Amino acid sequence: MPVRRALLFLAGVLMSVQDFTMMIVKSFRYLIFHFRMRESLFEMDRLGVGSIPIVFLANLFAGLDMALQFSVVMAPYGASNLLGRVVATSIIRDMGPVLASLVMSARVTAGITSELGMMATTQQIEALLVMGVDPVDRLIAPKILAGMVMLPALSVVGDLLGVLAGLMVAQLGAHVPAPLYWSGVRSALTLPNLVNGMLKPFVFGFILVAIGCFYGLRTTGGAQGVGRATTKAVVSAAIWILIANFMISKFLIDIWGWKL
Amino acid sequence: MIRLEKVTVAYGEQVVLDGIDLEVPTGKTMVILGESGSGKTTILKCVLGTLHPVSGRVLANDLEVGKLTDEELLRFRQRMGMVFQEGALFDSMTVGENVAFWLWEHTTLSDDKVEERVRMLLQFVGLESSLDQMPSDLSGGMRRRVAIARAMAAEDPAFMLYDEPTTGLDPFTSKSICDLMRRVQREFKSTNIVVTHDLTDAYRVGDLFTFIKDAKVIATGTRQEIEHSSDPFIQTFISLDS
Ligand SMILES: Nc1ncnc2c1ncn2[C@@H]1O[C@H](COP(=O)(O)OP(=O)(O)OP(=O)(O)O)[C@@H](O)[C@H]1O
Ligand SMILES: [Mg+2]
Repeated sequence: MPVRRALLFLAGVLMSVQDFTMMIVKSFRYLIFHFRMRESLFEMDRLGVGSIPIVFLANLFAGLDMALQFSVVMAPYGASNLLGRVVATSIIRDMGPVLASLVMSARVTAGITSELGMMATTQQIEALLVMGVDPVDRLIAPKILAGMVMLPALSVVGDLLGVLAGLMVAQLGAHVPAPLYWSGVRSALTLPNLVNGMLKPFVFGFILVAIGCFYGLRTTGGAQGVGRATTKAVVSAAIWILIANFMISKFLIDIWGWKL
Repeated sequence: MIRLEKVTVAYGEQVVLDGIDLEVPTGKTMVILGESGSGKTTILKCVLGTLHPVSGRVLANDLEVGKLTDEELLRFRQRMGMVFQEGALFDSMTVGENVAFWLWEHTTLSDDKVEERVRMLLQFVGLESSLDQMPSDLSGGMRRRVAIARAMAAEDPAFMLYDEPTTGLDPFTSKSICDLMRRVQREFKSTNIVVTHDLTDAYRVGDLFTFIKDAKVIATGTRQEIEHSSDPFIQTFISLDS
């Protein structure tokens, strides 16, 4: 019966959405009313400090490539004086947060899902419940906070690195003098750009961690189940990051119009 | 007192428990026996409230488990000790931290006091030297002991649930775990449910015995009552064991 199967599928999706929402609501409630300093700092260290190399690498090469491509596109129009502005704008608004988050999903989301998944399949999650501790309180809430705090922080430094990498290409490849490049960069530091550059990593950090936690907690079926859950989590985190990226871009452009 | 009334549990189409009745009087140990996959662990999950029956109710000291809110459940479980089938120790923590976990979460004891109590508990199960080891570095029997120590950390647990605490252990270790369970019961006067499929161990720790087969209770009672049961399954079970 295809109708019945379709209905069951729909019910399953609705249930998942409900479970996910419940998990998030509970996490924020715990963050406000039962804040755990020690666990939060621990997660921030693990998630943030541990990710510094990959975020920096991602931004470094994004900056290099961005500057290279734009200088090629813009040279015929004699617009290389705009190079700094274009590179900085695109890194702050899009490439920085998106690339960093996508790279981070492989590390953070996969790490969280497999860790929680392993705990779920070896009954450690149940053991927490049985000891009167909500796993959302002890495991999830600190991780979500860490994601939302650390991604913007990493992003700021990552953006700076990307812009510096752009400068290198500008000077060596496109023969744009450094002061000209910098004045372009400075003109890109507008309020809309900066809000964009902070809001995106904040949301992406939330997505990365929340999706990892959600799939991890629901894992069943032993080692194979952990593998399956991890793959699903990474793929859906990546897709949701791209969707959220578009929606935030659209939202902010609606607010500020076409101003740069 | 723990009482199950007409409890039915199903996973999809598969009925795992079919109208089960079970009563464990306060301070007694009920042993649940049955084949692998007969739903023994499922009974414990119902008592813990991590699984909700399709119908029927579970009472623990006149508290109806199914009616509790999430917060009430968390509080209810604080007076409950559970030893999982594979131990379920937190593998990112040391043995000492595992045992200390309950105290950290639910009391405001100083670190010294917690450590003192953890040492005492580990001594009780004969593992004080493993305080700083990781669970992955322990043998199966040692892990089971740590799990028991962790379950005892709850101050004065009213209920202790054991899921196959001796499966896969050699006869000596099995006996020492059974002795340990006996001592825990004497110490806390707790109401206990022990799941096993080993009759020798069952007799060592149990006051009452229940056989589960095909999702139903086929016999329940004291050792004498069980041994004089005419049910062919029970007779086979008993004769296979001796
Ligand atoms: N999460 C689940 N989803 C679907 N079926 C399940 C689930 N958990 C248990 N079952 C089924 O329920 C039945 C009873 O499982 P349970 O774990 O209670 O058995 P058990 O008596 O504890 O077995 P064992 O002695 O092997 O531990 C089994 O047939 C199992 O296949
Ligand atoms: Mg079992």
